[in-house]
Amino acid sequence: MAADPDEELVRRVGAGEPAAVQTLVARKLPRILALAVRMLGDAAEAEDVAQETFVRIWRHAASWRRGNARFDSWIHRVTLNLCYDRLRRRREWVTGDLPDVADPAPLPDAHSEEEAHRVERALQAIAPRQREAIVLVYYQEMSNIEAAATLQISVDALESLLARGRRSLQAILAEDGADE
Amino acid sequence: MAEGSRNEPAMDARRFAALAQAYGGDLRRWPEAERMAGTVFAASDAGEAILRQAGTLDALLDSYRVDAPDKALHSSILQAAGRHLVQRRRQWFWWLGLGLAGIGLAGAVAGLALVTIVTPEVQPDHYVLDTDVTAFGDPGPDAENGEENL
Repeated sequence: MAADPDEELVRRVGAGEPAAVQTLVARKLPRILALAVRMLGDAAEAEDVAQETFVRIWRHAASWRRGNARFDSWIHRVTLNLCYDRLRRRREWVTGDLPDVADPAPLPDAHSEEEAHRVERALQAIAPRQREAIVLVYYQEMSNIEAAATLQISVDALESLLARGRRSLQAILAEDGADE
Repeated sequence: MAEGSRNEPAMDARRFAALAQAYGGDLRRWPEAERMAGTVFAASDAGEAILRQAGTLDALLDSYRVDAPDKALHSSILQAAGRHLVQRRRQWFWWLGLGLAGIGLAGAVAGLALVTIVTPEVQPDHYVLDTDVTAFGDPGPDAENGEENL
């Protein structure tokens, strides 16, 4: 098994070194936040998830031992679980379709802005497991092996999720584009 | 980036298309073991067409960017870490104090036990026999009679 690039840093965080804490936040916060934003489609909720993820990191850093997964995979799993908690809570409250996102005011880059909103809406519309797979491999740039380990599935199952997810996205985006 | 799940060196159009459907048109995301064969196949007309099609969705996905975390969130997380460290130190000192108190208590108990075992029972220098008591510590069978006779 390849060395975990975060192992030494996590050990120092566990020992209570303030400099290590700062380095870990600088290194991981952008990844955790991006993952939560794309999973939830809500920046404020994603910030809450990022904070909760770090609380868990501080709590477990001293006792964290590398098992089968790297530290980065572990924090992705923690973040995804927190996102799932919120998605479940949302389902309990929201019974209708996803709320429409208000059209942004026309800006010089309105076209790319609108495109980003379309992708965001499409990502939120596909099955959460497919979304997880696409976000991990495409946006978080995890290898197929790391992503499969994070999702606790085989590489073949991951490929299947990715292919189905991309097909669903293509269909939604094509329909969305045809409507406009 | 992706690492290998299969090791076959050659690649056919079917597998190439399956990989493009799963990982997209950028071969850097493909499983490492299949990247080389994929690069060779990508030069073919069929390969180019498949990658072009996958690239359309990739371009759309690329447009969805997420803003970097703001300073307020960064500071809030660092403050929470600081509070956690302080709390953990307090807990550590509390357990340390409890441990030291436990060691002290255990030492006192052990010392007391040692003194009890090692030190012989203190005997009085002299023993005054009561008139009603025999040499065995009980009043004799004729003690009552004795008193009556007095």
